[in-house]
Amino acid sequence: MQEEKKRCDVLCIGGGIAGLMAAIKARELGANVIVAEKSNTLRSGAAGAGNDHFQCYIPEVHGDFDFFWRELFYGQLAGGLRKMDTEYVRYWYENTFDIVKLWDSWGIPMKYEGRYEFAGHGFPGRQLNHLKYSGKNQKPVLTGKALEKGAEIVNRVMVFDLIKDKDGSIIGAIGISTREDKVIVFEAKSVILGTGACSGMYPAVTAGAHNNRGRPLTISGDGRAMAYRAGAELKELELAAQHAGPKYLVRYGQATWVGVLRDSDGKPVGPYVTKPDKRYGDMTIEVNKAVFDEYRKSGKGPIYMDMNGISKQDLEYMVYWLQQEGNEGLLSHIAEEGINFGKSAIEFQTFEMEARGGIRANYRGETAIKGLYAAGDDVGSTISHAAVFGRSAGENAAKYAKIAKAANIEKARPDIEAEKSRLEEIRGRKDGAKWQEAISALQQIMSDYCGYVRSESLLSAGLNIIRRLKNKAHSSLMAGNAHELMHCLQLLNQIDVGELVFISAYDRKETRELHIRTDYRITNPLLNDKIHLVKQVDGKPVTEWIEVKH
Amino acid sequence: MPPIINRDICNGCGKCVEICPLDVFFGTEKGEIPVVTYPDECFHEGSCVMDCPKGAIKLRLPLPMMIIYK
Repeated sequence: MQEEKKRCDVLCIGGGIAGLMAAIKARELGANVIVAEKSNTLRSGAAGAGNDHFQCYIPEVHGDFDFFWRELFYGQLAGGLRKMDTEYVRYWYENTFDIVKLWDSWGIPMKYEGRYEFAGHGFPGRQLNHLKYSGKNQKPVLTGKALEKGAEIVNRVMVFDLIKDKDGSIIGAIGISTREDKVIVFEAKSVILGTGACSGMYPAVTAGAHNNRGRPLTISGDGRAMAYRAGAELKELELAAQHAGPKYLVRYGQATWVGVLRDSDGKPVGPYVTKPDKRYGDMTIEVNKAVFDEYRKSGKGPIYMDMNGISKQDLEYMVYWLQQEGNEGLLSHIAEEGINFGKSAIEFQTFEMEARGGIRANYRGETAIKGLYAAGDDVGSTISHAAVFGRSAGENAAKYAKIAKAANIEKARPDIEAEKSRLEEIRGRKDGAKWQEAISALQQIMSDYCGYVRSESLLSAGLNIIRRLKNKAHSSLMAGNAHELMHCLQLLNQIDVGELVFISAYDRKETRELHIRTDYRITNPLLNDKIHLVKQVDGKPVTEWIEVKH
Repeated sequence: MPPIINRDICNGCGKCVEICPLDVFFGTEKGEIPVVTYPDECFHEGSCVMDCPKGAIKLRLPLPMMIIYK
């Protein structure tokens, strides 16, 4: 297989919000930067088609930071915030307004009708901390800015493994072109992982439609898998997530809808609103995303997002923000179906289970590995998180690159050659499993043995099964071209993450949120302020509990 | 299945081929009308529709993804 070599100070793996923000900052500090992106940074990732909510603190809107800080724990992500070190959360929100001003000056409109508009993701009467912004073209804008600053963007390259020096520090990474048979070896002084979350581990709600998901399948946990194999720590993998939204057309943007969730008799499901309210939406969905599934299973379903009674202006407002939130496909479908939005009620459903957690990194983006940084959905969630910590990781990776010794990737030549022959094997196989077959196998194992019902017996049986699948995948996956090879490498990463989800779930002997252990029914308060880690020690996964620093 | 390209309007500029996050147009030759090589991998977020300078693309949602309403 043909090989191309590239050299830089800072390599950003993934050109999403975090990766591009990191690249821009690292360039500002004078580092040579490459962004390696699996798709094309113009529209890639979870933020590719746009977003409309930017969680932030704006002094002129919120006033006193301490009051803002206390109220923060009554909104979206409150549970997640309690699982982060205070230093981390403070750094996040203290830096959001700078990003708001930066983005606005770069051409991402952060104001609506000349003002900072806050709406959604908040309870009536409580503080709102989600700024409405017009993010439909955020990716083209950030791409333009990164190029203007002099970063090199390499599109259609999937990086699939990190390369370390003998002393354990990162010296580069290896990837493939997703368009032609070619290996790209990156020599870098520091590497930033910003590959996004981990989609596709569980069956989609629509049978056979692999990509009917809130996040595309390209977001396949590559960062987590690479970080783990390199020796970094992963956290809270077993705490699953679930979204909810319009039935059968899986889209994020729950808080952009302006309606009331009602049961089939027209009764509001939650206590928060009785008529469409553009300021608050209906928080019922965020308090319990499983409510749709629960109603259906108990025979009380369906539940509808009911826009009846919404004013013409508020309807236009909602449609505008749905466009910004990447819902153009949904809106054109609504129009084609002749659905009258203002007079209709759209059925909502609970979407598929998703693996959560991520790479453990501090507010500087540092992981446990020298020279390896992580940011964005690889670490946490939401756009403002990705923007703030992407920028921070870029800053610190650039500073590290200045003092790091020159990397020499050739020292890892045997590893590179081994990776190349592995790729050639997958490409050369004539009989075997295609990625679609293997991902179906992974999803049914995750769903049946590490899904909504978990117990020691199921988890230990499932761990053996997923390990069998892993061996079979390594020895039988085949790819007819570079695109399919990308899918195979994604799948192998997903299996690695899946195995770690099993190990972490087995070790969490309590019930917490969607991690429901039938053999340990209680939520253990002693674990409220603890983070569950898994890392590789001497080739074996080891779990550990650490204290959150409040 | 999605996307559907109007061959009368498309000028083969390649914008959709360049940007599609899922690379459903994989294998399309430069300057040619895009080939929908992997329709099953479409994510239906509509980037190609939004960014097509000619307005030559529309999405057709697969029947199982039909939205439910009353």
